[in-house]
Amino acid sequence: MQWRGVRFTVALTLGGVVLALSALAPLLATHDPRAAAPEAQLQPPSREHLFGTDLLGRDVYSRVLYGGRRTFAVALLTVVITLGPGLLVGAAAGATGGWVDGLLMTLMDALLAVPALVLALALLALLGSGSVQIAAAVGIAGIPAYARVTRAAVLEARARPYIEAARAIGARPAGILVRHILPTIAPPLLAFAGVTLSWAILNSAALVFLGFGGDIAAPDWGVMLADGRQAFRTAPWVALAPGVALSLTVLAINWLADGIDRVTRR
Amino acid sequence: MLPFLARRGAMALAVVWLAASLSFVALRWAPGDALDATMARAGASEAQIDAQRAGLGLDDPLPIQYGRYWLDVARGRWGVSLVTGQPVLELIAQNARPTLTLALAALGVALALGVTLGVMDGLGRPAALRWAAGGLAALALATPVYWTSTLAIYTFTVALNLLPGVGGSGPRAVILPGLVLGFHTAGSIARVTAASVRDAARGDFVRTARAKGLPEHDVIDHILRVGLLPVVSVVALQAGFLLGGTVITEMIFVRRGLGQVLLAAVTNRDYPVVQGLVILAALVYTTLNAGADALYHRLDPRTRREG
Repeated sequence: MQWRGVRFTVALTLGGVVLALSALAPLLATHDPRAAAPEAQLQPPSREHLFGTDLLGRDVYSRVLYGGRRTFAVALLTVVITLGPGLLVGAAAGATGGWVDGLLMTLMDALLAVPALVLALALLALLGSGSVQIAAAVGIAGIPAYARVTRAAVLEARARPYIEAARAIGARPAGILVRHILPTIAPPLLAFAGVTLSWAILNSAALVFLGFGGDIAAPDWGVMLADGRQAFRTAPWVALAPGVALSLTVLAINWLADGIDRVTRR
Repeated sequence: MLPFLARRGAMALAVVWLAASLSFVALRWAPGDALDATMARAGASEAQIDAQRAGLGLDDPLPIQYGRYWLDVARGRWGVSLVTGQPVLELIAQNARPTLTLALAALGVALALGVTLGVMDGLGRPAALRWAAGGLAALALATPVYWTSTLAIYTFTVALNLLPGVGGSGPRAVILPGLVLGFHTAGSIARVTAASVRDAARGDFVRTARAKGLPEHDVIDHILRVGLLPVVSVVALQAGFLLGGTVITEMIFVRRGLGQVLLAAVTNRDYPVVQGLVILAALVYTTLNAGADALYHRLDPRTRREG
């Protein structure tokens, strides 16, 4: 049990560090993340370039810092796009039941039946390339899972004895919803929002990696991993830094979500 | 059993129908398809493009296109690629094999590694074993294919020269992509397995088994019989998702396959191909899940109580 506590602390620290580094990128960066320097191509890590330079001679360290900001911005937008409709559909299905529930959930199942990345790619065929388009595509692909979790949480909350009791003594439905159901379902939904965030980071970076980000010069972990793939035979550091940053971020968010889930359950 | 299967089958059909219809509406709605781009590039005039469009029935009202679309789907005609003119079903058939090989290899790796890590994370002793297994599973979840591939190719192909990396052919070429894709998928399987095994270990039957003095490996056997059941569902779920994972893996390892077809179709806005692959993915997913449910039904008597 102690280990869980340690893990949560590690995750909290790690998450805080990543956020701070991204926020302070303009102060911490040593180079312009977009400035190419043809004379300094693919240099190994050194004093001048902490994590080395990429194919165009850009400083990998500065690009990783700025990449964090971009990655977080896109991922947060993705989560916002997922959460609104996901909560609405899930709550509506869980609260009403009957044919509304059946209809909404069949619709969600239909969306869920297509792998998220395939669905997001199909949406990109419609929307075109770009960061906002990626956030929209991944966000929409995330809606069915969030709706399912919301519905399950609402159903579970409605079956709680104290909510049954509130209904039995004649409390108004709106009052029950705000005072009893919302506090009950908030923790699991928050934990799943965390899972959605790390999922959004992985999938939006995947689409950027595949070349749908619109801006191929941007300091972005997905772009950098794609650049690193071109150069890995001679310069593995180009992919190493953004890859480690991405994995640590996702790991931290997953463990934080885990911790929230564990602490608030029951 | 039979009414259960019938209901499950009807639901699966409804889901596939809905997924296909949604993609139909969404994709027909979209502006500027591949036909415009390819024909304009070939120097065709506006009138020629319109004629071609009319020939393909793309200018009829949506409901009519929709009706004709389902008639065609039922007859096994899934439309033709707007880029090459090749029938979509033929394109899928030609590229299914390498993708299936990759998916099966990845699934094998994911199942072996995921269940091992999950059981170790859930029941392992001493605690250090649990930490190590849990940590490795968390790492697998947090390292996407587009980053481990580069790492794996660098290590096993460039540095050690053990395995074929990019663009290899033959059975050995599937090892590295299969490992990479399987490793990431193993993370989800391990997570669910660990939680389920841990849950099962708290069951009353475990206390009974210990109380009557069963040797520990028999107790573990009891736990695993119950705790490993959900693995059936997760594996079906992950197998359905593998088509998503193969897109990236195929691209990185430059393997022929459905993932590459999808990528090209999305880039070119080749809507019939995108749509065909979406329907295929939905079909695979629902079939696998219905199958998993039926298997679950057979394996776990507790699910048979309600009708």
